[in-house]
Amino acid sequence: MNSADLALEWASVVQSSSERLVRRMAGEYHEDEWGFDEEFAEAAFPIFEFLYRSWWRVQVEGMKNVPGHGRALLVSNHAGSVFPFDATMIGTAIQKEHPLPRWSKALVLNWAFDLPFVSYFIRRIGGVAANPANLTRLLEQDQPVMVFPEGVKGFGKPFSERYRLQRFGRGGFVEVALETGAPIIPVAVVGSEEIYPKLGESSALAKIIGAPYVPITPTFPWLGPLGLLPLPSRWRIEFLEPIDLSGYGPGASEDRSLVFDLSEQVRETIQDALYKGLVERGPAYF
Amino acid sequence: MARQGRVVITGVSTHWGTELARTLERHPGVGQIIGIDTSAPDADLGMTEFVEADIRNPVISRILPGLEPDVVVHCGILWYPEKDRPSRALHDINVIGTLQLLAACEKIEGLRALVVRGSAAIYGSSPSAPSFFTEDMARHYPLRTRFQRDIGELEGYFDNFARRHPAITCCMLRFQTEIGPGLDNPLIRYLTLPVIPTQMGWDPRLQPLHSADATGALAAATMNPVRGAVNVAPDGAISLSRLLRLCGKPAVGVPPLISGPILKRLGDFLGSADLQDDGRLLLRYGRGCDNRRLREEVGYELAFDAEGAARDFATKESGIQSLFPAPHPGSPVRSVGRREGPG
Repeated sequence: MNSADLALEWASVVQSSSERLVRRMAGEYHEDEWGFDEEFAEAAFPIFEFLYRSWWRVQVEGMKNVPGHGRALLVSNHAGSVFPFDATMIGTAIQKEHPLPRWSKALVLNWAFDLPFVSYFIRRIGGVAANPANLTRLLEQDQPVMVFPEGVKGFGKPFSERYRLQRFGRGGFVEVALETGAPIIPVAVVGSEEIYPKLGESSALAKIIGAPYVPITPTFPWLGPLGLLPLPSRWRIEFLEPIDLSGYGPGASEDRSLVFDLSEQVRETIQDALYKGLVERGPAYF
Repeated sequence: MARQGRVVITGVSTHWGTELARTLERHPGVGQIIGIDTSAPDADLGMTEFVEADIRNPVISRILPGLEPDVVVHCGILWYPEKDRPSRALHDINVIGTLQLLAACEKIEGLRALVVRGSAAIYGSSPSAPSFFTEDMARHYPLRTRFQRDIGELEGYFDNFARRHPAITCCMLRFQTEIGPGLDNPLIRYLTLPVIPTQMGWDPRLQPLHSADATGALAAATMNPVRGAVNVAPDGAISLSRLLRLCGKPAVGVPPLISGPILKRLGDFLGSADLQDDGRLLLRYGRGCDNRRLREEVGYELAFDAEGAARDFATKESGIQSLFPAPHPGSPVRSVGRREGPG
């Protein structure tokens, strides 16, 4: 390619991005009813793509288990004490590796929606406040949704507890899956638990800023903003066999013991896959 | 076609009361319309009979049954001060007025339906809220602000009344904030400021309800009331930042330390009175309501979704001049409007 061609190409890149900017400044873009802004998500995508490919060298297994259309409930382990990147990496994996890529929503801890800037950034890239009503509505709209039933207990666990799944909440996700007939796709993410090794936490600071906890890692908060840089662990994301719940019929969601059994079944499936995945992946960082 | 013989509208001189009377006058299913308020409506309502009365006064219990209505529509709940109704009277008008009205309704022989024009503010605005409230969720969230408590209190009386009178169809409409060309309310006054102060770091999801739909839904619920609460909200949602861009308004983020006093002063200036706290929370966390009951049970087809209402407002409202006008077709900026196609 000669330099004139290159200049022309750059000019068109600059022109199309300035066109986009002008258009966006006039409000001419699309948002869905949840506040997801596809153009914004596309613009942020290269960052996540870099983390995915170069930083964490993500390896994906079992993408065929993710349906290309219709509702799907992706249930995953949760980690990364400072910022849980697992949702963004699962989403990036589906975008990059799936033959029919689509954007998925993620249920996010309510506390994140009480943070300035963070709240609307998360919303624009597909985050939704975690509650059963939102999950039901999303699945009824035939969207793929990620949930992390471990919640704060999961991504706030210390480094020594890594890859030991915490209790799966109250099994609310199973209830909604039974009600909506959505298949549950367990996801085992290996690597996410080593990006911010949490050694301790500061309860005083957490009280001041009203956070569920404030983690202390080898780099955070000692290095300031630099401490927010996640460590380059090696990742492996495995999508497991879907669990079809449509056979249980209506009213099954009222059956507490069934809900707990299914929730425990999903938890054990992910736990087993995590142990196997850890062996498959090998050393954490190199 | 649904038929309702005699319709009594309380608060007929409020904007929405007058608009409802105007709409029902054209409706072939309505026999007679009687409007009650403390002062006559500004607009000329040819076919509406006006009765001067104050619903806060127990006298209403003698007047109302004499009118023999089939349907009573209560439009007298105020969100912000209006002409002749200062902000300190809002609690009296909203809560005591509704209580007196319900007492009067008990005495009406053959009353078929009671429709109340309430507010979606009862749901409040919070980070943990569902993105779309359904009608049964109002009781799950604490009532924080004064206006929210007022609405909660009067809905409590209303539910009680509905329980004791199963023969009467009691319908509580919960309206999202209205927007529309020519309308005047604190949100409109906010959107027509030359520069719009927003809370730095926050971009709420809003559901502006088009004024045509606000009146249309109220008339539809009058003709076909259903039991219980019904959300009146558009499809979809729009973020405040995009709404301001469509209006061509520059937004200035106010940092949190000084936003309190600034927003309070702004609230005074916009005349939002009791809505001050509600407004601050709404413009921080936003609010969405599910409208399936309105569409499926009341059977009202909304003309505008949230984005459509915003666009209609932006194009028709005089006084809104865009700082960033969308380029015309054929201008050098080519891709504008192409991506989304017509409409």
